[in-house]
Amino acid sequence: MTRLFNAPRALVYEVMTKPEHVRRWWGQLGEGYSVPVCEIDLRVGGKWKFVNRHPKGEVTFYGEYRELVPPSRCVFTEIFADFPDVVSIVSSELIEEGDKTRLIATVTYPTQQVRDMVVSTGMEHGAGLSYDRLEDLLAQLQR
Amino acid sequence: MEMDALSNTFAALADPTRRAILARLAQGECTVNELAAPFDMSLPAVSKHLRVLERAGLITQRREAQRRPCRIEAAQIKGVVDWAEHYRALWEQRLDRLGDYLDELQGNQPPIKKAKSHARKYRK
Repeated sequence: MTRLFNAPRALVYEVMTKPEHVRRWWGQLGEGYSVPVCEIDLRVGGKWKFVNRHPKGEVTFYGEYRELVPPSRCVFTEIFADFPDVVSIVSSELIEEGDKTRLIATVTYPTQQVRDMVVSTGMEHGAGLSYDRLEDLLAQLQR
Repeated sequence: MEMDALSNTFAALADPTRRAILARLAQGECTVNELAAPFDMSLPAVSKHLRVLERAGLITQRREAQRRPCRIEAAQIKGVVDWAEHYRALWEQRLDRLGDYLDELQGNQPPIKKAKSHARKYRK
């Protein structure tokens, strides 16, 4: 996923890694949404945890920082507490483009084998899975 | 797919042996003995994995005396794919919101609908 932000890179990095900022955009999806817990221990091996409150309840995400190279790179694991077996790796690259910043975010999780299975299953057993839709979807979740 | 079923599915998929078993079954039905063959593992150990997969609805086993054929149940796996799509949409929303927040922080005009679709031009 990429974005071009109208902001300098150092600010984007700060907004992505400081709790007072993160709680203002992560999970801020309108009325009835808030982030009551936003903890960040910003160092390699440090842990983070966010709780998103939404109109129907709360969801918790947590993880650990793997790489931190301010202001250009930030890599962390992300786990959705309801599915602790699924560990995503979120890798963010920030690149200066004039006075703007390009963000390239790559979210990967252990679906490589699942994808291969699904594709072959879809083709072998006629499960009705759309190959094109799947490829497009999984191109977004690059390994 | 409801949360408990999906959670069971992810737990079942978390093990590399079980993923390998599913990959084999994706090519067609197999007996328990045929599935156990590539693994340096006892038959009871393989059976244990198969029970986990069966409880998660990922495979079905027929109890035909000695043969015990297994087959994959693709609908459960599709549930995982659907979840992945939801998760990607969640990330897209977060990044949209990050962009809006950066604008607010710098005292820029919050983007009106038109400006937002302009910004989307830059997205791959």
